Amino acid sequence: MALTAIEAVRLTASLAECEMALVRRDPVAPALLAQAARHADGLSPGPLTAAAARLARAVDPADRTPEASAARKVVQALVRAAAMEAEAALLAGPGPERAR
Amino acid sequence: MRVWGEEAALLERAGADVGGLAALERDLDRALDLPGRDGAVDAHVHLGRDADGHRLDAARLLADLDRWRIAAAVCFAADDPGPDGQFGPANAAVLEAARRAEGRIVPFCRVDPSRPGAARAMERAGAGGARGLKLHPVAQRFRPEDPAVADVVREAAARGWPVTIHAGYGARPVAGPIGDLLDAASGARLVLAHAGRGDARSVARLVAERPGLMLDTSLAALADLVALPPERLCLGSDRPYGEHGTALRLVALAARVAGWTERAVAGVLGGNARALLGAAPAVAA
Repeated sequence: MALTAIEAVRLTASLAECEMALVRRDPVAPALLAQAARHADGLSPGPLTAAAARLARAVDPADRTPEASAARKVVQALVRAAAMEAEAALLAGPGPERAR
Repeated sequence: MRVWGEEAALLERAGADVGGLAALERDLDRALDLPGRDGAVDAHVHLGRDADGHRLDAARLLADLDRWRIAAAVCFAADDPGPDGQFGPANAAVLEAARRAEGRIVPFCRVDPSRPGAARAMERAGAGGARGLKLHPVAQRFRPEDPAVADVVREAAARGWPVTIHAGYGARPVAGPIGDLLDAASGARLVLAHAGRGDARSVARLVAERPGLMLDTSLAALADLVALPPERLCLGSDRPYGEHGTALRLVALAARVAGWTERAVAGVLGGNARALLGAAPAVAA
């Protein structure tokens, strides 16, 4: 589903917060990802964001084992992919507004 | 098997739904629609083990290239400067990987211009088959505009080597120091990694003023890429920090948003990097 400008701006901002929290291994990252997943629910970046949120919940951001590091990297990749989709929607011109 | 760039076995032990993640990655792959993808060249890959724990060996890289239908990769050492600070063993490992990879790994050497021995390290690497130079001002804590950096870039230019330089993600501006470096090292062929992320508008002006300046797309911002001429861009993944799926998707989305021609897309994917590494001109948009 095409994103409206409102949806794309909201999701882009939310995912940018997630990216920074993940890089900083901030314990707030899973909560931010849960918010982003709600923003993306039903939209084209929704599956990527939901998968990132699920995986982020399973891993302690401070855990530096190879397993946790691999999972954290995948969360970052999923967030990156979702953010690109939201940014592309904005840059290409979003779809018609649905919720006013 | 790797999913989103990471080992599936590790992800399973972390509790991940590997099947679901693999399905999402397949969806991304199916949506790529990139003409010229089979001739793709990844212009930004690190081999070896980084001080921060990231690591990638040649066998895994080659498997990734096959998985994503990428023909070749420009490879340089991870942040592993070794006892002399000049990446001797790490550069040697990249060169050895290239010798075994039948042309699929294009080796660059990495040095630290701020420490003694950089020229000797480049000489050794050149004798071993290196075809370019990689510099990382943030990791090695030097400034691009320092005279010692101009020295190694001039040496690279004399060897006919392109120079990939980390450019972005730091606090310092990118465009001014890179402009100073180009003034001090005429003839240099620089590739700004990450498309100079973090100083986009100044970098775009610099690109307009400097015809030979190239940029790689590794972990770049979509909004930055669509404002740059595609004939100046080379696909990059920054493996193992980044991964190939989103690296290719970034190029596909930039092409769609900016309206790049098929010829321009093929250039970004591989033609421009091949021109940089050889003698052919970059592919015009």
